[in-house]
Amino acid sequence: MGEAIVITSGKGGVGKTTTTANLGTALALQGKKVCLVDTDIGLRNLDVVLGLENRIIYDLVDVIEGRCKVHQALVKDKRFDDKLFLLPASQTTDKNAINPEQMKILISELKRDYDYVIIDCPAGIEQGYKNAVAGADRAIVVTTPEISAVRDADRIIGLLEKEDIAPPKLIINRIRQHLMKSGNALDVNEITSHLSIDLLGIIMDDESVITSSNNGEPIVMDPTNRAALGYRNIARRILGESVPLMSMDEGNKSIFSKIKLIFAK
Amino acid sequence: MSKKQLVYIKGTKDGLVLQLDDQCAYAELVEELKRKVSEEGIDGQAEVVLQLGNRYCTEEQVKELIASVHTTPHLRVSRVQSDVISVEESNLRVLERQSETFIGIVRSGQVVRAQGDLVVVGDVNPNGKIIAGGSIFVLGRLKGIAHAGANGNKEAVIGASWLEATHLMINETLEIMTDELTVLSEQPEMECAYLHTNGFIAIDRLQELRLLRPYLSTFKGGS
Repeated sequence: MGEAIVITSGKGGVGKTTTTANLGTALALQGKKVCLVDTDIGLRNLDVVLGLENRIIYDLVDVIEGRCKVHQALVKDKRFDDKLFLLPASQTTDKNAINPEQMKILISELKRDYDYVIIDCPAGIEQGYKNAVAGADRAIVVTTPEISAVRDADRIIGLLEKEDIAPPKLIINRIRQHLMKSGNALDVNEITSHLSIDLLGIIMDDESVITSSNNGEPIVMDPTNRAALGYRNIARRILGESVPLMSMDEGNKSIFSKIKLIFAK
Repeated sequence: MSKKQLVYIKGTKDGLVLQLDDQCAYAELVEELKRKVSEEGIDGQAEVVLQLGNRYCTEEQVKELIASVHTTPHLRVSRVQSDVISVEESNLRVLERQSETFIGIVRSGQVVRAQGDLVVVGDVNPNGKIIAGGSIFVLGRLKGIAHAGANGNKEAVIGASWLEATHLMINETLEIMTDELTVLSEQPEMECAYLHTNGFIAIDRLQELRLLRPYLSTFKGGS
């Protein structure tokens, strides 16, 4: 029996889909069987980020309306032999095409076959959000160090706390260390204490996240990238390992300065 | 046998008291009261207290009684006393004096309401709203909207470990917190907001509350 995790944020554009794709991939790399579910009906793009767009035959709405079996709609990612699957959203209808009860049934069905079911939630707090949260066992809230994103995260945490799920965890995405260091962006401690939930991890802002998304290859597949490291750390924390929070300087240090540090000790 | 007197006029050290009989019929009482006050040979103007005893009067009846006294230009009713209130009123008073405790974080978009005083243990985040009929005390950071004295209580106060609210409201007076209120920006720690006699909301140290609103204290015991 697996676990269903919903990735949500309230505000749009903070990186829910990117986070879903990368966490799913990272968990698959750790040997877990993962199913990603895109609930952003009408505005689907998890398939694009994963590079699976052209392999979709059936979608979420087809499954719910009984036009196909679940396994027929699942798209297998061939890069991770039988570890990573995607249930794509429908593009032709809207969020009202399904309801929370139907989602609950679907997710519990998926949990039987997968270690992790990761649900990509659409922006907003309406029907789409309700559908996405319905089947989840726990939630991850994604925010960025911007006041607007933090406000919306606060709102969504309030709504999540009313649901019958474990307390949500936080990911702070797109951290620009020079802004944070100069005090021009909210810093990690400030955000965490404001929202008063556990921090699951931080992701550094990195341009290659965009290029890799455009190529349909989640950044986490590149082990040298610092954003990828952030996602890998989070995946390990989800699996129960205790991994120290990434230092913000780490990405900038050359291998020589790291060696120097070792000798300095 | 002389008829029982229905209205006594008593002089006390606090002034005149009109003691009304609480057993007779109400109509009789009004008549007697009118007669009595017209008879009294008082010069100038005196303030009287209406003592209703164990008679329950509706608001209209109280108004009628006051009007009856006011038929003479010499008497003014300063207040009306009664030994009884209705169960409904009593329940309302209990509610208004009750202190409710909310433990948790009032997040954006959430509203926490209390009839009486409200104690929040946790933060009130921006766009979170807390409303109380009485005073509000926040053990934590108040960064949202607080409305104290929502049922007309002008004496209510808002105290917080960290007072950094965006909006403060006491009774019907609203204060939008801007940087102009320098008290805030200098030291938001352990402060309270109250309705100043000038009609605006003022902010002072929490410790000043004992001087500003000494009667808010309900504590009885101790030595």
